[in-house]
Amino acid sequence: MSDYVKMWKDLGMDLESHDLLCQVLPTAVGDVFLTQENRPKAMDFWDLVISEVHGIRPAELIEEQKKGRKVFGTFCVYVPDEVVLAAGGIVTGLCGGSQFWVPGGEAVLPKSTCPLIKASVGARLGRTCPFFRIADMYVGETTCDGKKKAYEILGEDVPMYIMDVPQMKREKDILKWKDEIAAFAEKVEEFTGNKITPEKLNEAIHIANEKRKALQRVYDCRKSKCLPISGRDVLLMMQISFFDDPVRCAKMCNRLADELEQRIRDGVSVVSAGTKRILVTGTPLAVPNWKLHNIIETSGAAVVCEEMCTGTRYFENLVDESGTTLDEQFMALSRRYMKTNCACFTPNTGRIDDLLRMAKEYQVDGVIDCSLKFCCLYDTEKYSVSRALKEAGIPVLSLETDYTDADTEQLRTRIGAFVEMLHG
Amino acid sequence: MADRRVRYYVLFVNYEQGMALHELLTAHGIENRIAPAPRAIQGKLSCGMSVLLEPEWLERAKACIGEHHAEYYDIVPLADQLRAHRDRYC
Repeated sequence: MSDYVKMWKDLGMDLESHDLLCQVLPTAVGDVFLTQENRPKAMDFWDLVISEVHGIRPAELIEEQKKGRKVFGTFCVYVPDEVVLAAGGIVTGLCGGSQFWVPGGEAVLPKSTCPLIKASVGARLGRTCPFFRIADMYVGETTCDGKKKAYEILGEDVPMYIMDVPQMKREKDILKWKDEIAAFAEKVEEFTGNKITPEKLNEAIHIANEKRKALQRVYDCRKSKCLPISGRDVLLMMQISFFDDPVRCAKMCNRLADELEQRIRDGVSVVSAGTKRILVTGTPLAVPNWKLHNIIETSGAAVVCEEMCTGTRYFENLVDESGTTLDEQFMALSRRYMKTNCACFTPNTGRIDDLLRMAKEYQVDGVIDCSLKFCCLYDTEKYSVSRALKEAGIPVLSLETDYTDADTEQLRTRIGAFVEMLHG
Repeated sequence: MADRRVRYYVLFVNYEQGMALHELLTAHGIENRIAPAPRAIQGKLSCGMSVLLEPEWLERAKACIGEHHAEYYDIVPLADQLRAHRDRYC
């Protein structure tokens, strides 16, 4: 166990409160991950990272800051990492996934705000997350009303830049997003003091694409009937991918994919034949939110795909690498990011197309559409998602939950009944 | 169903020591897993990784540690740590 107390103290963290978080994390990690049998050996990397989640990576970021690099904290898959990388900056995800931080958020936000937003604000204001302390600048976006208002509060405490995400996907919206990316690039240049050149941006685009390809490789392995990895393990990999260095992330994901592909060739599965295959869709599952996956996978089913921001939306679609001018590259970035099907868009039929496609690709038996409480956008889309899936003959269960443990029995009952129904 | 089994947590001063032992044990075919050290046994050290051993691997692990002079802080037995249906998240 490394001693990170000095680092946390230097970051101005509330050590007493943080110690309470340190008490609950090992229990949850043990219960969710270490109770599994026959996990891929390559998961040892993510086991290490989650064991030292507030230690190793924060220490790395601080070392890079000492060399003059800036750290940008982000909350959404619409924020283009490539722009930050091209200016020599570092990106770290900041979405809060723990109930531990929710009361701190509720001190300044309405209770009827989604737990992800409350936890994110609580993590910053409560000074109990090193990533929220380390980030030199937060980059927000306009993907929901709750976030927009929360960013105003966070902006009083930390430098904040907001990207205005379009609400529709017409050609003029793609051009508008391109302009937003260009404006963001100017801000990043000013903040880092580094010029973004076409060469640097091309290199950054390539790095981000390689990371996407590696994540896709792991997901491709889950399409096999011989399931070589649990949904819980993939979820952990995805959650950590938002924090990790992108080159190392790609390397470790490719290492994992090598093992998974070998497992498929050898017929090694983590579940018994006939286990029902579930696609989970809905709002993101920020670390350490493992409740839904753990309940599903201890109820006789396996999660084989996540159609969400902490899932396929993060890595599907590559950025065209052929651009040679910043203008062409910003357009290529816009075209790729605007393919992400977030519920903040209207209409958002692309998400339904994705779901129907993925249900086939991943050979799913049923879909669980789960949104966080008070997320009006995803809650509303359940209607059209459910209708489309039913029309396609795919069973669907719609759920709503938060970060508390209060509804676990209810979730177990509903998910257990759904899995039983899939068995017919 | 609660798993009351006693398991052994090898603690370290830093994660480099922990990873070195994890790799050493793995290279010698001794089953071990990386786990966050339960708060109850962290003592004066702050939270971080440990190496988790099932009881049937303890003696072989100790012999391997001794033979290779591998560094560690302590080995602590602890029961009832892993429960898939506990439903206590963070």
